[in-house]
Amino acid sequence: MLKGITILLAFFLGGEFIAQLFAWPIPGSVIGMLLLFVFLWRLGSLPPALKSAADSLLPFLPLFIVPASVGIVNHFYLLQQDGWLLVVAMVLSLLLGIPLCGLLMQRLLKVRTKRGAE
Amino acid sequence: MHWQAACSALWQSPYLGIFLTLLSFQLGLFLYRRSGAQPWLHPVLVSVVSLCGVILYTNLSYERYMDSAYFLSQLLGPAIVALAVPLYENFKLLRRYWLAFTVSNLVAGAFTVGLAVAIVALGQGSEVSVNSMWTKSITTAIAMEVAPGIGGVAALAAALVMFTGILGSLIAPALFKLFNITHGAAQGTALGVCAHAVGTARALEMGSLQGAFAALSMSFMGVLCALLLPFLA
Repeated sequence: MLKGITILLAFFLGGEFIAQLFAWPIPGSVIGMLLLFVFLWRLGSLPPALKSAADSLLPFLPLFIVPASVGIVNHFYLLQQDGWLLVVAMVLSLLLGIPLCGLLMQRLLKVRTKRGAE
Repeated sequence: MHWQAACSALWQSPYLGIFLTLLSFQLGLFLYRRSGAQPWLHPVLVSVVSLCGVILYTNLSYERYMDSAYFLSQLLGPAIVALAVPLYENFKLLRRYWLAFTVSNLVAGAFTVGLAVAIVALGQGSEVSVNSMWTKSITTAIAMEVAPGIGGVAALAAALVMFTGILGSLIAPALFKLFNITHGAAQGTALGVCAHAVGTARALEMGSLQGAFAALSMSFMGVLCALLLPFLA
């Protein structure tokens, strides 16, 4: 597992390095994730060390987002000011977005299946 | 005995923030499991709300809490990199569905984000709120990394993603029934685009196909938004 964590950190630092090098505003972690994905894809298999590191780290992902989320205590004024507007925006985009995405995908899948049958 | 000195040393300990985070998260996990995995009792929500309570009602400031809990935050970066592993494992499922998947993600993702941002902007919401809304279709971990770069606030972005995730998971089954959305891959993708990690947990309960597609579209939207938003928003 330690080996896998070392590999993850290497890709993370590589991503940070690339983001800095080209002065991209993209998070280094996302670049690192893409690099690792491409690496696995080229490799064509998943090294067990990496698998066990990911399996031991990922269940704790929700825990890692807690400390920064608590920072909302310093931004309560935003919720007081725009709270209702934010709620309306999210509720509407959910009520319309979920059916749109589901129906669109289902329709596209049916078109494909029909073509395959012909 | 030096009660006062001992108590104040405990309160000043650099481990206090880490301990309180773990403790509140345990409480969250306990409630979540006890309730039969109710989305509105998500461990992150319970943990964040109780920690906010501690910070508001005691003399522990957020800054001092964060000095200690910073260690946990730091693990977020390597954990995001690790998301490449489940993405790689699920990727072969896309071979049959990639076109429908890509089109649905692009269209529905652009629609839900665009609509939400437009409502906040037209409703005269503050600039910070508008900027934080841009990240609403990214999974929380990545949203928190993207938001500060586009003039938003990480904590507000997290709150918005969390809210959509929980509400989306609650109403999605009814919407699927109402609109007759029965295909597992379509259900999973809709949950992944609109309700992210909480939705993916929900999708896994519906079936492995739903779960895999929710995870795929969560990663797809996360990466796409992280790459595009810094240049668009």
